[in-house]
Amino acid sequence: MNGFSPSSHLLLTIAAPLVGAVVAWALGSRGVSAVRQSAAVSAVVTLGLAGWLIVRFLGDAAAVSGLPFALVEMPWLTEGIFDVKLSLGLDGLSLWMFGLAALLSVTAVFVSWDAVKDRPVGFYVLLLVLEAAMLGVFAARDVILFYTCFEFTLVPLFFLIGIWGHDDRRRAAAKFFIYTLTGSVFTFLGLLAIVLWNASHSGTVTFDIETLTDAMKINPMPMSAEGGWLQMIVFLALLAGFAVKVPIVPFHTWLPLAHVEAPTGGSVDLAGVLLKLGIYGFLRFSLPMLPEATAVAAPWLFGLGVTGIIYGALVALVQTDLKRLIAYSSVSHMGYIVMGLFALTPVATEGANLQLINHGISSAGLFALVGMIYERFHTRNIASLGGIASKAPWLTVMFMLFTFSSIGLPGLNGFVGEFMILAGSFQRAWSGVSPVWQTAYLAMSLLAVVGVVLGAWYMLWAVERVFFGGSREPPRDHGHDAAASHATTGSHGSHGGHAVPHDRCDLRWHELAALLPLAVFAIWIGLAPATFLRPAFAARMRLTDPAAQVAQAPTP
Amino acid sequence: MNATSLETFSLLAPEIVLVLAALVAYLGGAFAGLRFGWLVAAAGIVAAMAVTRGQAADPVFSAGVTVDAFSGFIRWTVLALGFLLCLVQSGDLFASAVSRGPGLHRGGTCEEAGTFLLLLAGLSLVGVAGDLVLLFAGLELVSIPTYILLGLKRTDARGQEASLKYFFLSLVASAIFLYALVCLYGIGGSTDLQAIASRLQTEAATNRTVQVLLPLAIGMAIVGAAFRLAAVPMHFYAPDVYEGTSPGNAALLSTLPKVAGIVILARLIALVGSGTSPELFWRLAVVLAAVTMTVGNVMALWQKNLRRLLACSSIAHAGYLLVGIAVAAAVSAPGATADGRSSWLFAAGGLSATLFYLTTYALATIGLFGAIAYLGHRWPEWTSGSGPRPPREEITTVDDLDGLSSTNPVAAFALAVFLLSLAGIPPLPGFWGKLTLAVSTLEVDWNSPITLGSRRCWFVGLAVVLVINAAIAAAYYLRIIAAMYFKTTKRGVQADGGLTGGLAMLACLALVGMVTIQPRGLFTAASRAGESILPQAAAPAAQVSLTPESIATTP
Repeated sequence: MNGFSPSSHLLLTIAAPLVGAVVAWALGSRGVSAVRQSAAVSAVVTLGLAGWLIVRFLGDAAAVSGLPFALVEMPWLTEGIFDVKLSLGLDGLSLWMFGLAALLSVTAVFVSWDAVKDRPVGFYVLLLVLEAAMLGVFAARDVILFYTCFEFTLVPLFFLIGIWGHDDRRRAAAKFFIYTLTGSVFTFLGLLAIVLWNASHSGTVTFDIETLTDAMKINPMPMSAEGGWLQMIVFLALLAGFAVKVPIVPFHTWLPLAHVEAPTGGSVDLAGVLLKLGIYGFLRFSLPMLPEATAVAAPWLFGLGVTGIIYGALVALVQTDLKRLIAYSSVSHMGYIVMGLFALTPVATEGANLQLINHGISSAGLFALVGMIYERFHTRNIASLGGIASKAPWLTVMFMLFTFSSIGLPGLNGFVGEFMILAGSFQRAWSGVSPVWQTAYLAMSLLAVVGVVLGAWYMLWAVERVFFGGSREPPRDHGHDAAASHATTGSHGSHGGHAVPHDRCDLRWHELAALLPLAVFAIWIGLAPATFLRPAFAARMRLTDPAAQVAQAPTP
Repeated sequence: MNATSLETFSLLAPEIVLVLAALVAYLGGAFAGLRFGWLVAAAGIVAAMAVTRGQAADPVFSAGVTVDAFSGFIRWTVLALGFLLCLVQSGDLFASAVSRGPGLHRGGTCEEAGTFLLLLAGLSLVGVAGDLVLLFAGLELVSIPTYILLGLKRTDARGQEASLKYFFLSLVASAIFLYALVCLYGIGGSTDLQAIASRLQTEAATNRTVQVLLPLAIGMAIVGAAFRLAAVPMHFYAPDVYEGTSPGNAALLSTLPKVAGIVILARLIALVGSGTSPELFWRLAVVLAAVTMTVGNVMALWQKNLRRLLACSSIAHAGYLLVGIAVAAAVSAPGATADGRSSWLFAAGGLSATLFYLTTYALATIGLFGAIAYLGHRWPEWTSGSGPRPPREEITTVDDLDGLSSTNPVAAFALAVFLLSLAGIPPLPGFWGKLTLAVSTLEVDWNSPITLGSRRCWFVGLAVVLVINAAIAAAYYLRIIAAMYFKTTKRGVQADGGLTGGLAMLACLALVGMVTIQPRGLFTAASRAGESILPQAAAPAAQVSLTPESIATTP
């Protein structure tokens, strides 16, 4: 092993934001600008390290062919046959999510540049700690380490929402935390059940995800009345946590509240990365380890995904608050991913996998832009906004770009993912299912197509109202009630009492720094999706194959 | 191995050291004008630790005294917690001296410190007791100093109510527990626990008297232990007593009696497990565990007073502790598991999980009360023009912690860590505790299907109740964190509770951090301790390693 092996590279990448957090904390007395600069440096350095690691991954033929990369293993709680390890590594599935987490953290830091003046040290420290936890959850190869990071992401976000959020932030923070925690404690029991099942067959209590995945293939959990439907019970336990996290309708009620109340930086991480954890959990645990139960539940979850698409879109259509609208569009778009995942055809799951990244980029971009609009006009009310295009052309261009990316305009990333998901879903209808299910799948897939139209409708309509038409200044007293209450609660230090003058209205350098990388990837993935699909292919196939085979979805 | 009485004395050396230190404190305070009672207490505890360290590691049984891994674990826990509590208590005393003015409380420190040392000696004695009489004597040596401490600390009506309430309920609980001991004596014809165990082993199946007395003994012993754990049905006193007493006493009440309760139940399991396995014991424990944690957590949701809230939380944690006890009671019986192993996690399953959980809980709780004791009072609302300055108000409600993150960031951070640990957020110690409890619960009868009414079904249900409660508990722990971090205040805290409280807080924070990063040491110790008290469960587990043949036999 040379001095800078991929393993130490991975460790360094995860440690970098933590070091950055310590530095930011140490610089606390030097004022806002020192703190935010140091946070920006840490986030950028982390992104650089992560990007370099990805390049090394792509250059490694074994890694691309599906083998884990950059393994790190240290004992954590090892006693006799009980073996919890600090075990890290990347594979094709986690690779892009890992990169996305690093990328969006940079965005989160830069969008908070001017927005956070109150207690900046805490804010940036928490943001960086959150980044470390997000990187950790995707690199974790141990069940307990995964669960630790999975849960621990709640803590920094709880504080981010509760301290730097908007008016109703305390309720939003508590609801977010408790709702997600309630779901994931069941996931915890389910994961333990998987570990114990393996222990009863192999005699060692290993928490290694890779080992467990292989072991569950050899000794699958019983999926029959004699076995007590154990596999189904465990699947439902895992579902409880993952469904809340995604969120799958009807477990989504925490999301709009959390998003609307969260500070922009928190929203970016929440929408971009944390929502993906649920899908990632399905891919990592449910599909490979509990294939029979997944196959049984898949049609219903497929249906719930479609319900989410339509429901989210319809609710988004009637929103008056721009941020809430985008929050509901997240519900709708996560519906596509759920649908694609549980179609279980190779094309659909591949699309779902890609769409994880696509949605991460487009929703993060949109939330960032909403935050910028709010900073300028102190309102997110669609009716009080108008004609921004003439005042801030670049902001408008960016918003249009991410809107098109979100609604799936060909040439941008969203199109590739959505197209693959829909194509795969139609494929599912002809995969030898019974005529009843064929009709159902067909109907649901058609509904999902309708959802695409609805998505274009609510997004473009909102763009039209907010950016075009007559220039409108938000009425002073109305637009300012939010800002005024901030001044009294002291949560957002220094919004001025009035809107930004025209000449300072367009994007500033740090806002460009937040958005440009996302825009580059939106276009890059749209034009050359194979670059991103190929490295993930082998690893994802290995994980989705067991369930796909049971469900008798066509294999390539 | 039998030992002479001199050897017995040497086995009890840590307790003797504690009692001697107590005497020094008492006599020094009364006759020599000694003012640093708590310093004597701390020195005594450290000396006892040194003596404990010097003792032989091999298990020794002598004249009703058992020194093995279990009693060693209890001793170390008691001494370590005792040291931390000593810090909290002395800080607390400083605070009351300030609020009542100097001079009023002279000499009291020595009485309190001596009494506290006697309490620790009693608790340590409970840990080593292998005889019914010694066990009961140890328990009384815990109870009586507790009454005194409760009475000494607060002189207002509330404090008196609290100490009286505790006194009467404790008497009742002791009496009931004494009946349990009488029943056990009736079964065994001896006060020696080993003798009773062997009698149970041979006669439990045939002797009618044993069959009648054993359930009675179990039931009454559980009630006796429930009082010390603050578990249902003996939990009512906790909120009132905690509210009426000082933070230091509340810290004491929420940790040390729990240790005694766990020791009682562990000894009982060792006894019962060696006979036939009355279903009664574990079923009762499962029901009590589920009810206790739910009652505690749901009650806590509505509390505004900080100490009442933490009392409810301590009830809930008694429920979590009972989870491991229930598991241990269920699997300790011979032939409990088909494949000869009682546990994958620990050689002794639930009991070790409970011991592990107990320490993680105690660390966080003492840290919490230490922080509250340290914070002491908050500034009154007062402007210089509005007359004389009103007296400072003691921190009593959750709202009093508003905005603590800006007025005292270190204390706020420490409190947040302790609260998140109690809530079981990974990777804090509370999470490791819940992990061990959940694993030990799920692995009961792992290979049999979950059918309605089966033992597996009971325990899977218990695991579900456990995690749901973890989510409920998060709600009120977060409420405190939200008050500290999300609210603002014009009235900061005084932080006049004495530096030792703050020191206890920081020490607990450091220990919590250590267990977070490396839980292994505590885990191993708890595992050994549980193993040593349940020899019949440990014997197969120590040797059995699953071979391919044994895997083939499992369905």
